[in-house]
Amino acid sequence: MRVLISIDDTDNLESPGTGALASRIASDLEKNIWGKCGFITRHQLLIHPDIPYTSHNSSMCFSAEIADIYLEKVIKHASEFLARESAAESDPGLCVAVIDHLSEPDELILFGQTAKQSVLTKESAYELARRAGVHLSEHGGTGQGVIGALAGAGLRLSGNDGRLKGQLTFDEPAGVVSVAALRARNDIDEVRTLDGSAVTNRDMVRLGEKVKTVLLGGKSVLLVIAADSASDGAPWQTCPRQLLKRY
Amino acid sequence: MERGTAERIEEPSEKCDWMGAARIAASCETFHPDEEDEQVADELLSCYNCRYRRWTAASFDCSKKKK
Repeated sequence: MRVLISIDDTDNLESPGTGALASRIASDLEKNIWGKCGFITRHQLLIHPDIPYTSHNSSMCFSAEIADIYLEKVIKHASEFLARESAAESDPGLCVAVIDHLSEPDELILFGQTAKQSVLTKESAYELARRAGVHLSEHGGTGQGVIGALAGAGLRLSGNDGRLKGQLTFDEPAGVVSVAALRARNDIDEVRTLDGSAVTNRDMVRLGEKVKTVLLGGKSVLLVIAADSASDGAPWQTCPRQLLKRY
Repeated sequence: MERGTAERIEEPSEKCDWMGAARIAASCETFHPDEEDEQVADELLSCYNCRYRRWTAASFDCSKKKK
C-alpha cells in the first residue's frame, strides 16, 4: 500500500528542523525493511498572527510503499519518534494517510489548500481525518501540529505544491548540462520552464550553485528560466532560489 | 548594519531587498544558516537564509533583534 506520512510543528529555533526529522523517520522505515520511501516535500502554510509557528510554518511529507502488515508499526514508530525527538516546546502532529483507502481525497486536498490561506482549527482537522479515514495524532504540547500535518498530506496528495527536500548535486557544479541529461536523472522527472515555454532534450541548461526541484503534477520538476547574457551559449539556466520561494 | 538594526525586509510579493539582506547577514554576529530546505536566497549569507528570521505575513522579523 502507498502511504503519505506528514509531520509538522516539531522544532524550535535551536533544534533540528522538521525536515531533518522527516528524513530520519523515512530512514528508519527503510532500515526496518517496512517499505521504500519516496522524496520528501516541504509545504508552506499560512503565516498569520493567530497561528503559532517557529519561524516558517511549513510541514514535511513523504510517500512510502509499505506492506499492509507494517502500517501499524510505521504509525507507532513515527508517533514514538515524534514524542521523543521533537523539541520540548513544540506541538508536533503526525498524519499517515493510506492513499487507496482515502474516502475523501478531494476534501483532504482542499484542506491543504485552505491551510495556505486561512486559519484552521484542530477540531476541523480531526473531523476531516475521521471522515477521510486517515491517522492523525498529536505528540506533545498543544498538538497544534495536527493541522499542518493533515494539510501537508493534502498538499502532497494534490501533487502541485511544495519544494523537494534537498538540493541536487552535479559532477560539474555551475556547469552546463543538456536537458536530456537532466531528464535521465533519477531525481528529476521533468524539466520545464517557469513560464511554460517548451524545452527540448537538445537544449542546454546552465546550472546554478543551488539546484532544487518542485512538486508539479506529482513529479519532481526542475524549473528553468531564460539564461541571462553570460550564458555560455546555453538558452536556459536553473531557477534561482528566490523564484522557488513561492512553491 | 548590525543585528538589531535590520527591521523589516520585504518579501518579493511586496518589495524585496536581497542585496540588503546579504549585506546585513555578512556583518551579523548571530547569523546562523537555516536548514537547506528553508533557505530561499542563492547566497548563503543572507537574512533570508537565517535560522533566526521569522516570517511574517508581509516580510520577516529577526528573532535575535535587540529589544
